[in-house]
Amino acid sequence: MSKDKFDRGTALTIFKNDRTEDLAALVISLIIVGIVLMTVAR
Amino acid sequence: MVYTKKTPWVLIIGIIMVGFAWLVSQGHLAGVLKELHTSKLAGEMVTMGYIFGAIGVVVGLWQLALPAKEGNFDYYVSTIGGALFILLLVFVNKYGLEPMFKLWGSASEKAIGWNWTKTLGVNYILLGIIVGMIVVNVFKVPHWAENGVRLSRLGLKTGVVLLGALYSAAELRHLGGLSFTLIGFFVLGSVGMTLWLGSRKKIANSMGGVLSAGMGVCGVSAAVASAPVVQAKSTEIAYTIGTILLWGVLMMFIFPPVGRALGLGYTQFGAWAGTGILNSAQVAAAALIYQPNGIETLKVAEIFNITRILFLPIIVLWLAVWYVKREQTGLKVNLGQIIVGKFPLFVLGFILLFALSTTGIFAPPQHYQGKYFDNSEKALIKKDKEGNVTSSKMLKDEQVATLTAEADKVQREDQKAALTRLIENKKVMSIDDDDTLRGLVNAKVLSKDANHILSEAHKAVRHTAKRVSWFRDLIIWFFAFGLTGLGMQITMASIKQAGGQPIVIGTIVGLTKAIGSLLVVYLLVHETI
Repeated sequence: MSKDKFDRGTALTIFKNDRTEDLAALVISLIIVGIVLMTVAR
Repeated sequence: MVYTKKTPWVLIIGIIMVGFAWLVSQGHLAGVLKELHTSKLAGEMVTMGYIFGAIGVVVGLWQLALPAKEGNFDYYVSTIGGALFILLLVFVNKYGLEPMFKLWGSASEKAIGWNWTKTLGVNYILLGIIVGMIVVNVFKVPHWAENGVRLSRLGLKTGVVLLGALYSAAELRHLGGLSFTLIGFFVLGSVGMTLWLGSRKKIANSMGGVLSAGMGVCGVSAAVASAPVVQAKSTEIAYTIGTILLWGVLMMFIFPPVGRALGLGYTQFGAWAGTGILNSAQVAAAALIYQPNGIETLKVAEIFNITRILFLPIIVLWLAVWYVKREQTGLKVNLGQIIVGKFPLFVLGFILLFALSTTGIFAPPQHYQGKYFDNSEKALIKKDKEGNVTSSKMLKDEQVATLTAEADKVQREDQKAALTRLIENKKVMSIDDDDTLRGLVNAKVLSKDANHILSEAHKAVRHTAKRVSWFRDLIIWFFAFGLTGLGMQITMASIKQAGGQPIVIGTIVGLTKAIGSLLVVYLLVHETI
């Protein structure tokens, strides 16, 4: 794990910043939504 | 730098998972599952075991056979080992440790009259966090798993975004006003109190500013977002994060047993956790520790947590004005840029999915807590191909007789009318009637038997949408993954950062917030069922 200036505890992430992580969460969620919409009947 | 470490462990974890799924699917573990009361989870064990196991086998073989090349692909693939390591721990906790603890709890209830696992809320979420903390602080996270552990917050954020799909407009109408009032009061109150205490204790304005955002809004992210506004030094951010983490971790373990001791309902506990616990991840953890096999508490807690995050721009503005006034340094801070740059995007994702949910693509739009009303014959009566009734959820004659005999006990006109319509039609006739009859059950006017009949009639007309059910299962897995990984990030080093005046101020504000929100929730928030 790369050393931060200080230990961010739960804020550790593989992404370069929080915004990228948020975007990744959004993209994963939308992919899951798409799969559920296509494969599961309402 | 090459991040993917050559290790046989990814392959070994994959083989263990596939092997476990195969043993369950072939019935070789049927005796064990029966003993542990986990037979109903067999389908899930097989599906999850095969999916994750296959990924482990393929990635493990590929990592052993081919040399990794430096680049983005290598960086992101290096996370798979750690992710599988966390998932293996989730398997162990959910399918092994939790059922074993439950058995020990039942045994202790028989022996000493106290089910300690129930009282303490021992479940796979709590065990995941504890096991994670033990792994990182006692054994250290294996080097090949380090990058994967850093995926845990992504798991939590994805879970929160997906959670948006489970809300309906009706639900938000019910919780929205309450959460805005409660959160508004406690967020602004905590920020104000921290700033006031900070000036009394004569700590630096930058320290007070960053600590107030952390104590008031949503923990670590808020502290980081507000840091540039108050020109906070990295040591001050570290003090704030240490204070928040220390409090978050303590509250995560303390809230559930206190909630249980006070007999709080799911809505009450969710509202309390979403208001009183400082950091988002620990809010989710406390809610799932309180109710591990359902999502009602988590949903309430998260709507409160998200309402809190929505206050972030207001707090950033407040702090900017406060700081400039106190320092009068003439430093120019671009507020708009900070708000746009730091506002958590996953909250917008949650709102997007909620907006999609209100269109009715996941469940009928009038659904409430994932369940929709349908009292049609098709929904209540099952028939075979020849048209013969195979099962019916309409009231039976003897149930009608029980309710008729007790109808005189009901005094309220609306309840009387709803009960009469139920007796006449042998089924609940409308959503309003359903709500009214649930109120009658809560009021405990009728006998236990009659209330049971009413509850059955309620269940017969409320159906869980299949898509919502899928989302619910997926969300639980995302949170289980994220929270087990979270445990592996609660290092003693991060907690030790708290110290001096910040911890004193944090303790006063944190305690006031936890106790104050408990009092308000206990006295003013009531369950809908």
